[in-house]
Amino acid sequence: MARNTFVFGLGVAVALLVGWVAFPQALYVKKHQPLDFLHKTHAEKSGLADCNECHTLREDGTFAGLPAMEKCAGCHSDKIGDSKAEAILVENYIKPGHETPWLVYARQPANVFFSHAIHVKRAGLTCTECHSTYGESDQVRLYEVNRISGYSRDIWGHSMSRLRRAPHEGKKMNDCEGCHKRHNVEVGCLGCHE
Amino acid sequence: MKVTRRDLLVWSAGAAAGLMVTPVPWKILDDTSKWSQNWPWIPQPARVPIETKQSFCTLCPKGCGLRVHMAAGWPVGVAGTATHPVSRGALCPLAFGAHQLNWHPRRLRTVRHGASDSSWQAAQGAFAQAAKEGRVVVVEGYPGRAASSVFETFAQKHGGRCQVVLGSESRSLKPYELWTGVNASSLGYDLENAKTIVSFAAPLLDGWGSPGQFTRLWAERAAGMNDPQLRLIQVESSLSRTAARAWQWVPIREGSDSAMAAGLAYALLEQKLVPAHGPVPSATLSAVAAETGLTPDAIRESARTIVAKTPVLVIARDENPSVAALNVLLGSVGARGGVVRVLKNERPVLSADQTITDARAVLIDASVPWEFNPQTSAEVFRFAAWDGGGSREDWLLPAPGFLEDVVDVPTAPASSVETYAVAPALVKATSEVKSAAQFLGNLDSTLLTSEKIIQTRCEDLFRARVGTLHGREAIRVSEVPSVEKLREELWKGAVWTGDASPPGRLRCELKEWPASAAAKTVDDWSSEWAAPVLPPLATKLYIESGLREAPQRRNA
Repeated sequence: MARNTFVFGLGVAVALLVGWVAFPQALYVKKHQPLDFLHKTHAEKSGLADCNECHTLREDGTFAGLPAMEKCAGCHSDKIGDSKAEAILVENYIKPGHETPWLVYARQPANVFFSHAIHVKRAGLTCTECHSTYGESDQVRLYEVNRISGYSRDIWGHSMSRLRRAPHEGKKMNDCEGCHKRHNVEVGCLGCHE
Repeated sequence: MKVTRRDLLVWSAGAAAGLMVTPVPWKILDDTSKWSQNWPWIPQPARVPIETKQSFCTLCPKGCGLRVHMAAGWPVGVAGTATHPVSRGALCPLAFGAHQLNWHPRRLRTVRHGASDSSWQAAQGAFAQAAKEGRVVVVEGYPGRAASSVFETFAQKHGGRCQVVLGSESRSLKPYELWTGVNASSLGYDLENAKTIVSFAAPLLDGWGSPGQFTRLWAERAAGMNDPQLRLIQVESSLSRTAARAWQWVPIREGSDSAMAAGLAYALLEQKLVPAHGPVPSATLSAVAAETGLTPDAIRESARTIVAKTPVLVIARDENPSVAALNVLLGSVGARGGVVRVLKNERPVLSADQTITDARAVLIDASVPWEFNPQTSAEVFRFAAWDGGGSREDWLLPAPGFLEDVVDVPTAPASSVETYAVAPALVKATSEVKSAAQFLGNLDSTLLTSEKIIQTRCEDLFRARVGTLHGREAIRVSEVPSVEKLREELWKGAVWTGDASPPGRLRCELKEWPASAAAKTVDDWSSEWAAPVLPPLATKLYIESGLREAPQRRNA
């Protein structure tokens, strides 16, 4: 009996170890961004204090997302510093006229419609409520992509258990619903899936 | 220590139990569901800025306003236009998924002759030969369009005729044709101004008319945004979804609508609740009570309730002269909040026959419901964008799908507002498709194209200088600077609405109370707007909507 309990417990322990330690390591592939973009440096040196200065809303209210290469070229048409990242930007992307293939942490499936305009302008949410303080960071995060789904780890959130996560962690439908519930805002299926 | 088979089994059981409290099974389930959405053979819209274009649904004649989200020239989503004067942002489940219809596996992409593939040349040759040899009957579903003019002109020039398959809303207005001399397609129900609506099983809150029109009115009433005195009295044999949400449900026996209408008329006259003019129904209250399953006092009470808040409007589910006569008795024909004349010069339409005996060829437009299959020995040329299955036609011809062809949208059936809009071709067809109007135009080059007729209609609207154009903002047509500007606005998704005609310009003469029609099985109304196929998004919603009670399923 004691032997059976021990063996059963061993099975449980191995499964827990695999499930909580090895599985997350195996599930996500870590990728580097094409170059080390530092939000903090840009905010301090260029005076770009407001997120909207690069991540703009178009005239029709849609979100332009990551700034196009033209925006970077406004300052970096030639090297203005001596960092390796800037050299990559100028030589590999600006001079040949290629867009920088950024890996987008918050990219959603095509059947989801998320309006930044409504959340920022109408609901008055700040950028940090969903994106934390990444805009003030002085280092580039690794991009972790899920081998099965192909989406970023930011969608699930860093915590595998999804317990006690911060409000900005996780961008699954449950997270949207939870936030709407907290703010007492009702949106039907077609609000996001129209 | 020796490892036994038993140890392995116990260890496996422990591992399985342990895995249940790890993220492994749940995360894999979650991830594989997303993985299956992104299989390489599933078309994905381009990752580009979404452009929104205004258009109109042409899947049925109600022409609800659409906002079509486009990515790289392809529609990826559909939503309602809240500023549309009639549909007011509401859409049926089919329209919400309409952008998926063009990719439906049952999309018709080739000409079919019998069981084999054929060509447009062969189809046109066969039709031209048939038109030479005998009469051609053209059957369509949405009268009043530019394409309808093409059909009528072709039929006139070639000694044929044009027939229309009317929906139940239009059929319910048919009895007034005889009494007013105005054809049913020129009449409408003034729902907005009625205070009491008595519906004889018409599913007013379940897709009847333009889906958003009355539903929104009823929701606004519930929210206290408009007249809280608006009453909907549903006279129906079962507790349908409309009956359940109505102000009052009057349950009667199946097939006793005509008798109930006569009984209400009798009770109204008996209690002097309406002026005693016009014919009196011959049925007595006791006879009506026996037929409907109500008591005479209940019928009297219903009659008093009906006239407590006026104007009163009575609506039948289908063509029912007795129910229509109740409107005449109540003075609701030609009155505000009643049956009103919407169009001034609409030509009469010929209802399509289920049996066509005198034709050499029958051409069925894509606007005709798939369920319509005339009994005929003539050669049948059927246009359809989707194959609904079980086709008995000789020729099945692929028509443009959702928003693949420029189509004009005239006034919706039974609407009290005269409207005109143009649904431009937003999508390029991926196979060789032709509309029935284009097909006839290829045979007879003297026929005007639909585009030219739409252009002429724009010019007519501009010259008439009446009505309002509802685009980004509402402007009077008299303030539109040029016909080009009007045309441009219409092409961009504006809706023209006519000026409301003053009430009382409709004379109605009822000489005798209509005989009670024999209780007939009324078709399941929901089949009238059933598309031959459904997009995936609509499937679940539509199946659920199919759970609504149909007449033949009641009292089973």
